[in-house]
Amino acid sequence: MTATATELETLTAAKVVDARGSACPGPLLEAKKSMGTVPLGSVIEIWSTDPVTKTDINAWSNKVGHEFLGAVEGEGYDRVFVRRQK
Amino acid sequence: MAEAEKLVFMVTHGPADPELATIPFVMAAAALASDVQVVMGFQADGVELVRNGVADTVTAPEFAPLAKLLADVRELGGLLLVCGPCVKSRGIPADDLVGGAQVVAAGRFIAEITSATNSLVY
Repeated sequence: MTATATELETLTAAKVVDARGSACPGPLLEAKKSMGTVPLGSVIEIWSTDPVTKTDINAWSNKVGHEFLGAVEGEGYDRVFVRRQK
Repeated sequence: MAEAEKLVFMVTHGPADPELATIPFVMAAAALASDVQVVMGFQADGVELVRNGVADTVTAPEFAPLAKLLADVRELGGLLLVCGPCVKSRGIPADDLVGGAQVVAAGRFIAEITSATNSLVY
């Protein structure tokens, strides 16, 4: 289930992954590596300048069993939020 | 318990075609990040990509450098299988391949492909 933009804006992530400037599949790999470093139920926030990252992370989350919360626009990049579920 | 998914990526293009050399590594890395087992099979000019130092020379526009992708695939547990006749015909000694790369013959490729969820040829 995705959160509203307001909910995402006010959400405090357990970890912020700065993947800005990273080419596909860099943001996905960074998300994968970072997810294992936060407790179950925690949220990671991925920053990406690649506009397809949000759909990529959404598909990845569904595939591996995490909860994709949504994305909001930062200043020149996307902020993508995923909750660790396993 | 469900059987693990496995994808086989057959790589037949070398440094002369950076894009087709890079894309299978992108796909393999994404598969590994998605908890899918990965076997990469290198044949024909594709074997050059796992020769020591060659990946450092390959970068396709808008893609991560091949050396980074190769490192990601190795770190995430991808299996690298290299065609024996292909390295022999190119004069590549087995000890000039990146760590973890195994020189194999057709039977091993067939075993991996027939036991995979799917196979993709690049």
